[in-house]
Amino acid sequence: MRKTNYVGRGLLLLVIAGVAGYGIGLGIDLLISNTLNFSGSVPSAFALLLAVTAFFFGLYGYRGITRGLTWQILGTVLGALFVTGVRALMGSSNIFGAFLFGEPAWVFGALVGVISFLFGVGVVDDWMKWARGIDTPEHHEDEPGWEKYFYVSLDHKVIGIQYTVTALVLIAVGGLFALIFRTELAASQLQFLTTTFRLFNQTGPQLYNTLMSLHGIIMIISILLGISGIMNYVVPMIIGAQDMAFPRLNAFAYWLAVPASVLMLMSLILGGFDTGWTGYPPLSSRAPLGMQMFFLGVFTAGWSSILGSLNVIATVVRMRAKGMSAMRLPIFVWASISTSIIALTATQLIGLSFQLVMFQRLFGMGFFDAAKGGNPVLFQHLFWFYSHPAVYVFVLPGLGVISELLPVFVRKPLFGYRWIAMSSLAIALVGFTVWAHHMFTSGMNEYLRVPFMYSTLLVAVPTGVKFFSWVATLWQGKIQTPTPMLFVLGAIIVFLLGGLTGPPNAAISLDLHLHDTYFIVGHFHDTIFGGFVFPFFAAVYYWYPKATGRRMSEFWGKVHFWMMTPSFLVLTLGMMRVGLLGMRRRIVDYDPALGLDFSHFVMTIAAFLIGLSVLIFFINFFRSLKHGEPATGNIWNSRSPEWQVPSPMPVHNYEVPFEVVGEPYDYGLPGSKYVEFASADKVSHSHS
Amino acid sequence: MRHFLIVGILVVVAAILTYVGLDSANLMPVAASAQAVPIDEMWNLELIFMSFFFALIVVPLAYSLIVFRRKKGDTSDAEHMEGNTKLEIAWTVLPLFIVIAFAYVGAVNLAETRRVDPDAIIVKVTGIQWSWKFEYPPYGVVSDELHLPVDKQVLLQMTSTDVIHSFWVPEFRVKQDLVPGRITELRITPTLEGDYKVRCAELCGTSHAFMEKPVVISSQGDFDEWMAEQVKLAEQAAATPGGRGQALVAANGCAACHSINGAQGIGPTWSGLFGHEVLLTDGTPVSADEAYIAESIKAPQAKTVAGFEGQLMPSYGFTDEQIADIVAYIKTLR
Amino acid sequence: MTHTQEKSSMLGQGVFIFVYLAVLTGLEFFVAISFGSVPLLVVVALIKAAMVVYYYMHIYKLNLEQEGDEHSYEYKSGTNRLGLWLFLVSDSFVFGGLMVMRINLLGLTRPDLNQLLGLAVTSILLISSFFMNRGETLMHNGDRRGFLLNTAITFVLGLGFLLGVVLLEWRLAIHEGLTPDSGPAGAAFFMMTGMHAFHVFTGLILLAVIMANGRRGLYDEKNYPVEAAAVYWHFVDVVWIFFYPALYLIGTLA
Repeated sequence: MRKTNYVGRGLLLLVIAGVAGYGIGLGIDLLISNTLNFSGSVPSAFALLLAVTAFFFGLYGYRGITRGLTWQILGTVLGALFVTGVRALMGSSNIFGAFLFGEPAWVFGALVGVISFLFGVGVVDDWMKWARGIDTPEHHEDEPGWEKYFYVSLDHKVIGIQYTVTALVLIAVGGLFALIFRTELAASQLQFLTTTFRLFNQTGPQLYNTLMSLHGIIMIISILLGISGIMNYVVPMIIGAQDMAFPRLNAFAYWLAVPASVLMLMSLILGGFDTGWTGYPPLSSRAPLGMQMFFLGVFTAGWSSILGSLNVIATVVRMRAKGMSAMRLPIFVWASISTSIIALTATQLIGLSFQLVMFQRLFGMGFFDAAKGGNPVLFQHLFWFYSHPAVYVFVLPGLGVISELLPVFVRKPLFGYRWIAMSSLAIALVGFTVWAHHMFTSGMNEYLRVPFMYSTLLVAVPTGVKFFSWVATLWQGKIQTPTPMLFVLGAIIVFLLGGLTGPPNAAISLDLHLHDTYFIVGHFHDTIFGGFVFPFFAAVYYWYPKATGRRMSEFWGKVHFWMMTPSFLVLTLGMMRVGLLGMRRRIVDYDPALGLDFSHFVMTIAAFLIGLSVLIFFINFFRSLKHGEPATGNIWNSRSPEWQVPSPMPVHNYEVPFEVVGEPYDYGLPGSKYVEFASADKVSHSHS
Repeated sequence: MRHFLIVGILVVVAAILTYVGLDSANLMPVAASAQAVPIDEMWNLELIFMSFFFALIVVPLAYSLIVFRRKKGDTSDAEHMEGNTKLEIAWTVLPLFIVIAFAYVGAVNLAETRRVDPDAIIVKVTGIQWSWKFEYPPYGVVSDELHLPVDKQVLLQMTSTDVIHSFWVPEFRVKQDLVPGRITELRITPTLEGDYKVRCAELCGTSHAFMEKPVVISSQGDFDEWMAEQVKLAEQAAATPGGRGQALVAANGCAACHSINGAQGIGPTWSGLFGHEVLLTDGTPVSADEAYIAESIKAPQAKTVAGFEGQLMPSYGFTDEQIADIVAYIKTLR
Repeated sequence: MTHTQEKSSMLGQGVFIFVYLAVLTGLEFFVAISFGSVPLLVVVALIKAAMVVYYYMHIYKLNLEQEGDEHSYEYKSGTNRLGLWLFLVSDSFVFGGLMVMRINLLGLTRPDLNQLLGLAVTSILLISSFFMNRGETLMHNGDRRGFLLNTAITFVLGLGFLLGVVLLEWRLAIHEGLTPDSGPAGAAFFMMTGMHAFHVFTGLILLAVIMANGRRGLYDEKNYPVEAAAVYWHFVDVVWIFFYPALYLIGTLA
């Protein structure tokens, strides 16, 4: 009997709905504006939304994510109509705008859309029942097979995979945008993003600004989702818990990411925005409508980050196995706690800073408007108070992955475990004191600059502790280099480059030259790839067997690594070089007289090679689900508890609970054990 | 032990090679200001540190990968080494001191770039989307080019009329944001005669990439000559409406969006504009006469030309006389 | 101590703390209108906040030794308690950011607001916290009727605060020319009171939920949700303990 090809069905419906949506949008636009706007925003918006929803409908039917998206579209339209109606009744002018509805209607509609999505996908159902006094079972059994990933699951392993795959999708989208503008930048003078080119109501240079801005924020959100993926999947397993402390909150935090991503894509279509992901006013207060979609999208994704980190902290504090004292925690748990402390608290500030600009646009509240007595630099303080600690959110989990994996592949204890654990906390705490190093040229108070230089350089100390400890761990070990270890080593080297190019930026006088150049772009690509991207790949290659019971292809894993790493080094070293020589950031074109054409050409080639290597990774990832070499046991010979039970991980993690009886990384100590599982007759059958 | 000795030597060699490589790679543009000197010294110090710490980590790492690789068939673990408290204290405290010393050097270095010359020339700089306006107060000259005499400090007093911009000439090194609603200052002492460019270094919208103007550093004599000529040109321009209009256009950066040679830009070209028919966004044709052009300057969103939707021209607060002068200038463009 | 002795001791403590808070509020009002000492006003606000956090929000419960095993109701409530406090820590960063905005934009000036109205709404909110504390204590001691009555009073007072701010304060301010778009003072005032009012509104929703469920007898045995709603309500009061002097008392008129 032929199996239904769900993906085929989904793709077919995607095409049909896309075309139909495009036609509907074109028609509506024609009625309102009297012109056929083929490359315009309204037809594209309809096409995209209907196509995506129809794809999931074909794949899956009207439930879960499909229902969520449908309700989001309806909620957005109803919310926008509501505000339009109210404003019409109030006699306001300009109740319609360049994109059908006016800005206040779109903002309110988008907000209602996000909330509608959450109701539609079903992630608030249990809470709504509790509010009405109805009790719900503690666990929900998931459907077997792939369908559970598109539905609300309370299992942290399913949610971890949902986060990880969504992160990979966003990486692909953000990477695609980068390849588009890297192609434009390969040579000086405008090639195709010219002033006469128009798409989504934007000219070429405007589209560049939007793509560049979205590349930034989409990658940032993919990082937040990626770290949530790893932390959600791994933390309960390695502390011996059955699940996270708040499984419903966990699902809720994940499902916020989907409408947030929809909003990000809508910002591209609804006029774009030209401020970079940093959204500085006054530019952001006069940017097109896409700016508001961006603000709301970040707001929504920020809530995902906050609630997820709340869950991690509560889980680690309350759900650890017996005997797992602070100094016997796996090092990744220390990294997760440090990350979560930052994400729980500082994230609110980016939400607030964006909220203030949103209200400035909507109601004329002059927070950052100099003409109204406001202060543009205030935005930068509020914004960077989150956005600097945010980069430690990005890298601390990855640095934790490095520390977690090194002992396994070196067969030696993690050198200086306590100091490494403390260094994660130290980086998190010191990281709160450095934000104004992004503002050395901003016109902020003179006397503030030097203290921030001191605090910024101070972060190098705990970071250095990590590097020295890693080298000491490798020293005199017995090193093997399967793919996860390759990515760990690549991470160390790339993060080293990122870290070493930090102090030049911290020195204020030198920063006056480096600020807003490609040197900074090279610096943060190195730190982000070294602190997140490489460790993320390491974590996926490492824990993939635990999740699926199969290994990813070693051969293609090595191809991925050896294609990505040299290309990436060429890319970032090239970025730093052109930055030093005068290449500014965030520009669609550069002066041929700078003589940087060849460097840019090389960087574009490198970027494409990186893209190709990631494509290879994707293919490996999905093919290995069915065709990977079976790997059901402790294939890495790790001491960690999750590898002491078979793969794929059992649904409730540990049928038999374990107790911690030794140190986590005592490789080489004869007879030592980290965990001991209770004997069969002591198993309690009390969990429902 | 033998390993430590080998690694030690390799670290030193690698550090030196890295430094020499980086130093000879000509990574900085020519230094053309007095402020560039301490900054390039700071950069050199950074290169030394970066080279040393790069070698310090990478060499033992690479060495371990080669020498301490697990032998085929060996399934045992390595030696049980948990840590070394003395070492860990050392590699926390030593970097702490280095970092503090570095910050101190950085502060001193910063002070050197901020030396004040009380006799500095004052130039008022205004950033406008997407052009630069330079005013020379003692002479009453307004120009879109920055001319300066060599070896004399200039005090740039800068502001913006719209969004945040940033003043940067790479050869001078220092940069400073232009913030609406306040005046920010930057002191530069050019030391090398030549032609440079100032380019905006803070994303400011659609044409941020193209917001650049010439910076000419010349001898005192040549500078005085240029200034005298500018004064004369200003007097001549002030005599006719078209001349006054052209000066206003140059001072307010209209060329960032409107070309005068027919080239497609962010806004409609002015070449041949006056007297011809234009199509508006709602499809109605209108004659580009004095009234239409004047209205488009006063209230730019009132009647937008088709194809230029969403390109939000700001309003400049010109007086009616100024608008008449600008219209007079546009009339002269065929 | 017996059950009833514990109950009346807790109720008595609630009264005692309320009297303290009322006196301190009177003190700060008096200080503000007579000699306006900023350090003193800050200190008074900190003391008031500390009292509410310790006595009404009983933050020390985070540290209690759990007796039950990890599947017991007590243990799970302890986890929920930690989760709630983590959420409140996070939320306080929003209000902290709003304070930074107010200080940066207004400095030592303040908007021109009606002092009597300000004192009135502040008092209403403080009194509502008193009744919330009573309600929570009574439910914890099994007195459903007492819980419902006191929580209903809390709700009414909370609604009174909300209407007092939105219907009276805001309209008065707009009438006097202090609008959201009139300048930094207006922007700060409306954003701060607006965000706070939003939290009062959500607090009212939580109160409505626990009253409805309380009537059905859901909290006669397991009453952590009552504690949660009460702690959230007191948090909203603590925010106002700082916002009130920041907007009404500290600084000179611009």
